[in-house]
Amino acid sequence: METQPDLAQLVKDCSPILRFGLLDDWLGLARANSLWPLTFGLACCAIEMMAAGASRFDLARFGAEVFRPSPRQADVMIVAGTINKKMAPAVKTLYDQMLEPKWVIAMGNCAISGGPFVFPGQYAVVEGVDKLFPVDVFIPGCPPRPEALIEGILQLEEKLTGKRRWPKVKPE
Amino acid sequence: MVGAPIAPHPAAIAPKETFVLNLGPQHPATHGVLRIKMTMDGEYVDRAEPVCGYIHRMHEKMGENRTYAQFLPNTGRIDYLSAMHYTHAFVSVVERAAGIQVPPRAEFIRVITSELNRISSHLVWWGAFLLDLGGFTPLLYAFEDRERILDLLEGITGARLTYCYYRFGGLCNDVDDTFLEGTRQFIAKMRPRLKMYRALVTDNIILRKRLIGIGPISAELCRRYGATGPVLRGSGVTYDVRKAEPYSVYPELEFDVPTFPEGDSMARYLVRMEELAQSLRIIEQALGKLPSGPVMAEKVPRVLKLPAGDFCFAVEAARGRFMVRVVSDNKEVPYRVKLRTPCLSNLSLFEEASRGLFLADALALLGSLDLVIPDIDR
Amino acid sequence: MNETVPNPAPPLQAVDYRLKGYHLEAMVAPDQVVPAARAMDEQGFSLDTITGVDWLAQEQMEVVYDYFHPARGLRTVVRARIPRDQPEIPTISGVFPGANWHERETHDFFGIRFLEHPDLSPFLLPEDADFHPLRKDYTA
Repeated sequence: METQPDLAQLVKDCSPILRFGLLDDWLGLARANSLWPLTFGLACCAIEMMAAGASRFDLARFGAEVFRPSPRQADVMIVAGTINKKMAPAVKTLYDQMLEPKWVIAMGNCAISGGPFVFPGQYAVVEGVDKLFPVDVFIPGCPPRPEALIEGILQLEEKLTGKRRWPKVKPE
Repeated sequence: MVGAPIAPHPAAIAPKETFVLNLGPQHPATHGVLRIKMTMDGEYVDRAEPVCGYIHRMHEKMGENRTYAQFLPNTGRIDYLSAMHYTHAFVSVVERAAGIQVPPRAEFIRVITSELNRISSHLVWWGAFLLDLGGFTPLLYAFEDRERILDLLEGITGARLTYCYYRFGGLCNDVDDTFLEGTRQFIAKMRPRLKMYRALVTDNIILRKRLIGIGPISAELCRRYGATGPVLRGSGVTYDVRKAEPYSVYPELEFDVPTFPEGDSMARYLVRMEELAQSLRIIEQALGKLPSGPVMAEKVPRVLKLPAGDFCFAVEAARGRFMVRVVSDNKEVPYRVKLRTPCLSNLSLFEEASRGLFLADALALLGSLDLVIPDIDR
Repeated sequence: MNETVPNPAPPLQAVDYRLKGYHLEAMVAPDQVVPAARAMDEQGFSLDTITGVDWLAQEQMEVVYDYFHPARGLRTVVRARIPRDQPEIPTISGVFPGANWHERETHDFFGIRFLEHPDLSPFLLPEDADFHPLRKDYTA
């Protein structure tokens, strides 16, 4: 008959793996609670991003109101607005300058797929930020409401921590 | 004189060695994607050359690919902060060319919504300008007031920022009593707030030291570059499209055009603060005079074709004179749509006006010009 | 002022403001745009905008200069037609410095060369752009 596994010995053997898992959880929680966005408002969506950080919608509740102008200090790049072919190298440079771990939120129809500025024969707009680098969350709208941006940040937090920590609002 | 650039001590003058400082296109103070190549002589700006085109979204090319009705949403996105004015100009040029008469109720509602949009645009400018100068709090006050306006406009248009409320011949739907009552309450709430802004910010000694005497722009400079709006009115020229080329029902409403002669950043600041008060006055009068009736003209053709030729219409947008010129060849799609935007002319004088200023003063000048970059790049 | 201006001096012609949106109009030869700009400047006009129209069917391009008067509210339009295969016209940026950017933009969109312009590099298009998108025969 098998003897009961020695629990103390088991914990000692598995402890490096267990602790690494817990640390990941804690790190995820810390990162999710303090996502620092890069101020990257390009066009109209930038105003809704500012409104999300301002008095009524208040991103500070979620730890994300500290907009950093420098990409070296930011975690998440909220691409709010249309990406132009002239601007694309600058956007790519900013993305490259951000430190890992980094995430990208594509806010608004222009960042998702070029938005209302796509027509056959168009010469200036990059049809979507995901043509340049990978995107984590897409927020549709033209422009999306500040509540939609907050929902996008909460979805990103869910991606970081593995579970959704804020209640989901049921549409009426 | 307070605020004048201090001349360097003779013993400290070294031979001039300039370096290039790149401002933007990603920068919190450029209000969008503007790049300014600044050749700096120490802390002084030797030459500031704006580079535009980072948000060029082909509005004029889209004008040739879209019917008149399909182009309407574009107008709200040229200058998204004062979208109502831009849509007003475009629908008015088509109405002018096609001879469509807009009912008076629609005209009054257009004026009310346009002036509400002007207030919300100036509030964003005020908050962002003070953010550039280092004051973080007024942004929150400004956005709170702005949210009240946005609630009102969302109730009738369905949009918070890039409205597309006007149609050829009138409006897409009528306003209800909630809007009218809400607007009256908003005016009553906003007037004491303006007093608070004056006491908190305008009379603040730090703001006055940052703005008085900084970035002087003469009326002659404005004329040679075509600057309009608060930039021109802050240099002593009383030019307002609502008085010079009256449109809609502005001739029936009484309002002043605030003008300050000093030409410095403080004058441009005061012009916009006064315009807030004047806009409240216009809205109040328009609410009182609002007639009943339809909000859409009868017999507007579903497929609009303008007669051949070119037609213009100018409005006083929040940033200055916005003019649409439509060249038509009697088809459903315009032959050429030209958008004369105020921010392009206002920014073009930045190079000449910023020579010799401190960097911080050049940014104060840039903020006082009130730029929205997609307006320049279209 | 919405009414039509009576008896303007030629080549200016009065136009129905209520229909067109401007009061005076003049069609000038391409080499006369600078004297026209000087005349506008002396009268106290301000430069509104400069733009082009590509008349593909007539093989011409039209350069349109819009002026407005800050004190009197008058609107004037000066037009010039140039051949499409050699679109060149003198610059007025010596008279109105604000024309610098408008001419650069018109060059970007139509390929119209403004002679003696200080810097005709792309303004709205990327620095290495060699296409002129608002020409009627442009395909991406």
